[in-house]
Amino acid sequence: MLGLSSSVCRRAAIITYEAEMNLVIHGGGGKIIANIDQDSVEIMTVDQGPGIPDVGLAIKEGYTTASDHAREMGFGAGMGLPNIKRNADVFEIDTEVGVGTTVRTVIYFQSGQ
Amino acid sequence: MAHSIKISYSACHGCVNCIKSCPTEAIRVINGSITIIKDLCIDCGECLRACARKALGLDDDDWELIYTHGLVEAIPDPTFFAQFGSFWYPDAARTALSDRGIDLLVDESEDAFDLAAYASARIIEESSSDHLPLISTYCPSVIRLIQLQFPELLSRIIPVENPLEIAAELWRSRTKSYAPLTLFAPCPAKITLIRDPIGREPSPIQHIVAIRKVVHTLMASGVKVSQFDKSLPSNWRFATWAIRGGETKHISKFASRELTVLAVSGLRNTIDLLQQLELGRFRGVDFVECRTCDLGCFGGVAAPESRFLSHLRNRHVETEWSLTPERTDELASMYDRTKLWKTREPIPSKQRLPLSSDLTEAMSRMKQMKAIFAEMPHIDCGACGRPSCKAMAEDIVREQGEITDCVFKLREGISSLANQILSLANAQPHTLKKSRI
Repeated sequence: MLGLSSSVCRRAAIITYEAEMNLVIHGGGGKIIANIDQDSVEIMTVDQGPGIPDVGLAIKEGYTTASDHAREMGFGAGMGLPNIKRNADVFEIDTEVGVGTTVRTVIYFQSGQ
Repeated sequence: MAHSIKISYSACHGCVNCIKSCPTEAIRVINGSITIIKDLCIDCGECLRACARKALGLDDDDWELIYTHGLVEAIPDPTFFAQFGSFWYPDAARTALSDRGIDLLVDESEDAFDLAAYASARIIEESSSDHLPLISTYCPSVIRLIQLQFPELLSRIIPVENPLEIAAELWRSRTKSYAPLTLFAPCPAKITLIRDPIGREPSPIQHIVAIRKVVHTLMASGVKVSQFDKSLPSNWRFATWAIRGGETKHISKFASRELTVLAVSGLRNTIDLLQQLELGRFRGVDFVECRTCDLGCFGGVAAPESRFLSHLRNRHVETEWSLTPERTDELASMYDRTKLWKTREPIPSKQRLPLSSDLTEAMSRMKQMKAIFAEMPHIDCGACGRPSCKAMAEDIVREQGEITDCVFKLREGISSLANQILSLANAQPHTLKKSRI
């Protein structure tokens, strides 16, 4: 309908889904803001949660700090951030322990992926 | 994208049976008769099945003209041989029909289907497990459905040409003849396969005729085919492709390992399977065969015989499945030497036309569309000539319809107008005394 390719929609859906789970499991709630432009969509995930002490570790596949409760429900496999990164053309993370985390991703409509 | 459905406007009554049956919502009734949106039609033939007045037919070539014109070089669809009172063994059929001026390309068909199965087996074996399962290219309707609704699955379509076209090319390269070739087609999808090929230059086949017409001519002429003679070579593995599972069975015979294959038929099963495949299910499956017609190609709308009977006949005659080493070598050399089996170009996606070429405009129209849809009765009655309230809302924002096309909205409009008239009628000029009723 909008003339966007299905891969753009799929990637945007994966990113928002994973971001949403991160907000619920780790961030204690927050906001997902989507800015749609002519040639790209920017998805910002903002929370005032505990922050990430070691970003390098957090974006490694399989690393998780999710609670047993979340993991019992099948979440918290340590794939959230890596999955977001893989599906985004731009991936930026800004975090401070005790203050919160902001993840900014951009998907270009004409990218090669 | 073209389609091969012909509309008889004099027979069309403007009922909405066909628009409801269409899986891609390609049909509209406008001004009392139907129109088909070309870009959305996948030639599955569901509308022909749904039309009780036979207002829909197949847009094939003139069989009488072809038949009376001279020798017909014909590619028989695998369904052809089970359309008569008994199963016609391809070799026997060729002999019997040669007297009638029809040359059935049986040898080329056998080679082409063997080659396609062999090539498919090789490609499946060479693919990494991430790229499996691959999807059959045989049913043109399935390819069009994937182009339209499952573009993510395009990369899974196996790059093997349709064996009917391979047969035509083999015949051309062997005979060096320019005589036109005729395909006996069991469905509109195979007509479109030839008329408007996807991912290749013009088809090597020139004429396409519905099997029904050919069968009627032959039956009327009282042609007799001698029954099974043990001395005849049983080279008709290709005829099993007419049944669901025939293709996968054929491919499995050429594979060096045991393949896990799925074969489904019927539109609903096909759509279900593609949806599940898109969700990433079917890990561990190597190949899927989908046919949009029930029971496989025997269920095609252009096949005259009962699909149950033809299916039964095909299943109950045996063919030789074990391959001689010479045959396998021959196919291996054909596979390496010619690239006839290979699809020429990747198949492009065919997504719906966007609401506007400008994204901002498209988004605002989408918002408008949702607002219109929210006001609709949501019962998908079809009285507006569209298959659903959603399709109606879309047509309105595309400026191809009015809100008053909806009988419920029209009624609401009349009712509010009537109320306005009533309140105007009740308003009295001050100079008149109030009535005492």
